[in-house]
Amino acid sequence: MKAFRLRKSLLLITTALTVALAGCGNNSGGNNAGSGTNGAAGNSSSSNTSGKAAAAEAAPVKVTWWHSMSGTNEKAVNEIVSDFNSSHKDVQVEAVFQGKYDESLNKLKASFGSNSGPDLIQVYEIGSKFMIDSKMITPVQQFIDEDQYDLSQLEPNITRYYTIDGKLNAMPFNTSNPILYYNKDAFKAAGLDPENPPKTYEDFEKAAKALAKNGKPAASIAIYGWFMEQLFANQNADYVNNGNGRESSATESLLNSDAGVKTLEWWKRMIDEKAVSNLGRNTDDTDAAFAAGQIAMTLDSTASLRNIVQSVGGKFEVGTGFLPKPADAKEGGVVVGGASLYIMNNKPVEEQKAAWEFIKYLATPEVQAKWSVNTGYFPITKAAYDQQVLKDNMAKYPQFQTAVDQLHASTESTATSGAVMGVFPEARQIVEGAIESALNGKQEPKAALDEAAKQITDKIAQYNETVQK
Amino acid sequence: MSELDKRLSLPVERTSASVRSALPLRAASLKRSRLKENALAYAFLAPSLLLFAVFLFYPLVKSVYLSLHSTDPAGRIAGFTGFDNYSDLFTSGLFVSGIKTTALFALLTVPAGILLALILAVLTHNMLRGKRLFQFAFSLPMVISVGSASVIWKFLFHPTLGMLNYLLEQAGMAPVGWLIDPHWALLSISIMTVWMNLGFNYILLSSGMQGIPDEIYESARIDGAGPLRVFYRITMPLLSPTLFFVLVVSTIGAFQSFGQINILTQGGPMNSTSVFVYSIYQESFINFRFGTGSAQAILLFLVIMLLTLIQFKWVERKVHYQ
Repeated sequence: MKAFRLRKSLLLITTALTVALAGCGNNSGGNNAGSGTNGAAGNSSSSNTSGKAAAAEAAPVKVTWWHSMSGTNEKAVNEIVSDFNSSHKDVQVEAVFQGKYDESLNKLKASFGSNSGPDLIQVYEIGSKFMIDSKMITPVQQFIDEDQYDLSQLEPNITRYYTIDGKLNAMPFNTSNPILYYNKDAFKAAGLDPENPPKTYEDFEKAAKALAKNGKPAASIAIYGWFMEQLFANQNADYVNNGNGRESSATESLLNSDAGVKTLEWWKRMIDEKAVSNLGRNTDDTDAAFAAGQIAMTLDSTASLRNIVQSVGGKFEVGTGFLPKPADAKEGGVVVGGASLYIMNNKPVEEQKAAWEFIKYLATPEVQAKWSVNTGYFPITKAAYDQQVLKDNMAKYPQFQTAVDQLHASTESTATSGAVMGVFPEARQIVEGAIESALNGKQEPKAALDEAAKQITDKIAQYNETVQK
Repeated sequence: MSELDKRLSLPVERTSASVRSALPLRAASLKRSRLKENALAYAFLAPSLLLFAVFLFYPLVKSVYLSLHSTDPAGRIAGFTGFDNYSDLFTSGLFVSGIKTTALFALLTVPAGILLALILAVLTHNMLRGKRLFQFAFSLPMVISVGSASVIWKFLFHPTLGMLNYLLEQAGMAPVGWLIDPHWALLSISIMTVWMNLGFNYILLSSGMQGIPDEIYESARIDGAGPLRVFYRITMPLLSPTLFFVLVVSTIGAFQSFGQINILTQGGPMNSTSVFVYSIYQESFINFRFGTGSAQAILLFLVIMLLTLIQFKWVERKVHYQ
């Protein structure tokens, strides 16, 4: 009897254990997968450098590049890499897809302290502060100085984002910004000027009201923290203190400043007036509703342009406009979104140099033009606009010009350079939660933003504490 | 072979020893043989113990260790914080709100899931025709992974293009923000989860019913028992061990739900679907605070252990083992 009870309780404990640890299983699996692939890559690269380099100098330096481009973008990446490898005998790049940006960053963190990490990694823009604080990178500025590389050939509005503490830490790679998408046919039907999309919050509201028919909203903005950041920059307002975190580490969120309150009140008012609908956090959902003609105005990244135009097909004419701003906001502009490339400093110097060679190749006008055409991201090199493929693409998708103009029209300030903080991914979730609780009427916009700002400030303090040590 | 020989020869040695000498010596040799037997048992257990140690015990110990520390953004230990992570969880209300959401989710999914599976199992059990077809259909959700099931329901729940809102509109009702409205989100996920778990519950319950001998039913019928009486007096008690197992397993399953929430709502809107495992994931692998994440994991472990204990202590009393 006693033995039986003992067995039963053992069973009980094991079940409970298995369950509690199921959550951890996810992590170890990911890490294993990560280190598995890296292990192989690390081994082969070390054998290359130590074993063969001495014997013959013909052995190429191997560069492992972790990226987060999937679907058509991954195809574009692989094409660029194979072009590079066939034209450069001394450097061979291996592109490895490591999952979404946060997954890839997760694997990178797991690789710290071992030799299994990549030479080059693509990190999303909001991971910038973390990458610098990790002290695991060699800023590309070092290679730029050594090489006397001419930075002025790059788009200044893009390099500005990644220039922190006076140096370029990472090379921009894929960049985009948010634009207004609208349905020209619906504009005509509602008596609006289809060639003159709304530029201000007020106009946007008026247009949305005109488009809405019998109580059915005809516009929608996804609850995506990135839009809030962009709408701040568009009013030339900083998102965090200390010069948007660029003069020194940010210590306070400015989410509840006038710019934020004005934006959220505008948004909430349009929901109340049934001019705008809430379709959740996913831009995929607003895009789908837009393409199906259910809504006539929405915001999304330029990177979605090709997708939207294709899924609309010929059903109606897609127009694009600048991101709206309050009528009284004079300056401002958009921040570049997307990702950049970091060179890791725990690898041999020749591998880092080889990674830099590859980065330079990526920045050439030819490659940038091709990349832009295949993906919808901006070319980072100004000369890329003179390439024929890009010109042809502009003719095919004239809407893309809006995005380029918007980027060039942005004024230079800390606000449009983009905020820098270590807890950016988390801040986005908090902001999204605040927008939701305002739009659902649980809190007044100001109160929701006050609470979110306080939370973000707390998280920043925690982050700064663990990093300073 | 040699091992077997030795074991076979053991009792012989023992008896001869006991005959020849006094009691203490006999006890000592008994002890020795038991020791040997235990060693053999552990040798056989070793491989599985090793696996447990590597994949369960070590992570558990590590979780306890991490939960007492704070980590820097790279996940490296930044400093010892004692029980701060735990007290933060309680003072910030994160623990309470997580437990509330999770408990509500369990309440919405477990009883409904078992009841529905039980009804279907009873209906198909007495079927004469098309039994196989229905059994196949009702077990089908089992073979669909959480990922694909979530994607299917994501389409159904889509705010403007989803099938469910389309049907509502056809019926002249206002569309529902299935995953967007904080009042609906948890319910929507529960509906999807009940459907997803239906296959597993159904298979268990209907095989449990097949295990009940026909003679009992027959003699009950001869005694004049109606179908309802048969169900309450015979099917339910004899099915109770299976029901109990399904209850324990689905409760644990509900407390560890993650996949569908990660894909459908990411804990939103307004944290209305932020169940415990999701917030552990968010804290550890999005925000990279392994300290608080581990503290949450340890708390979840305790909660599930407590719940399972309660189930074994009280609910099992009502279980009728044949």
